[in-house]
Amino acid sequence: MTDPVAGWALAVVILGLALSTFVTRTSFLLAGAKLRLGHRVEVALRYAPVCTLAAIIVPDILIHPPAHAIDPSLLNPRLIGALAAGLWLCWSRNIIGCLAAGMAAYTLARLYL
Amino acid sequence: MISGVAMVKGGLAVPWAIMMSLLVYAGSAQLAALPLIVAGAPLWVIVATGLITNLRFVIYSAALRPHFAGLPWARRAALGFFMTDFTFTRFMRSAQEGTLPERSDAWFAGVCSNNWITWQLSAITGIIGASYVPTDWGLEFTGTLALVALVGPSLNARPAVVGAAAAGIVALVAHPMPFKLGLFCGAIAGIVAATLADAAQQRATAPAEDA
Repeated sequence: MTDPVAGWALAVVILGLALSTFVTRTSFLLAGAKLRLGHRVEVALRYAPVCTLAAIIVPDILIHPPAHAIDPSLLNPRLIGALAAGLWLCWSRNIIGCLAAGMAAYTLARLYL
Repeated sequence: MISGVAMVKGGLAVPWAIMMSLLVYAGSAQLAALPLIVAGAPLWVIVATGLITNLRFVIYSAALRPHFAGLPWARRAALGFFMTDFTFTRFMRSAQEGTLPERSDAWFAGVCSNNWITWQLSAITGIIGASYVPTDWGLEFTGTLALVALVGPSLNARPAVVGAAAAGIVALVAHPMPFKLGLFCGAIAGIVAATLADAAQQRATAPAEDA
């Protein structure tokens, strides 16, 4: 286990992230009335979060930490956990249930596969 | 609460996790930035990732502007910063139903402060609770699962599915790039793919306008 992340570098990161929250949430509320959102820009902004999150999740699940290699097999505990969470989400919209199902499947796969 | 658990089990020290929760106040951006912080990615990559994850708020703030146009600068800034997915949706639903009170800004400030207090209390509960849980329980994986839970319901339209698939594949292939740049290539590829898919869908559903 490495030491917890802390220190000045982290303070700067936190301030930067806080700034990104502030800038996006207040953007149009503070801008002049002449600024308008074009249709294409609005479409791109609408799908930006889901694309970014997908770009984070997919490698996070499929790349197995010890070997740093892509592991799409059903022996990969992270993939099993994510599939269980996804199936639960299709079945019910309950987020706590989805996390519990994902963690349970991940833990079982990690311990027994 | 999940963001709190994920921050601590991802490797953030407790006081820093609390500070992040209080100052950043954006669960999805925090969850997205977390693996990059832990991997020691450069500052600009982390902040840019948070920024892209927060981009949806630009649309929200454009939608809120007509309601709050007459207010002083500081009040607009405060209402904007404390707006979240939930409070925005709540406000727009009341606006559509025509049930907004006359001082809709004061009402919205109330909704937002309630939400802020609830969110921070549960995040801090998660942060402190998680610090007592042994690391080998694998709780850091809750961060990834929480992102799955965030993405799942957004995959309700074809452009979103196309964009997410493109983003995931490109990010996976580009993964060996330094500074976590594969993440960016993936996000950009996804946004382009989603925009194209949206344009194709528009053409398919409104053929009469071309004639």
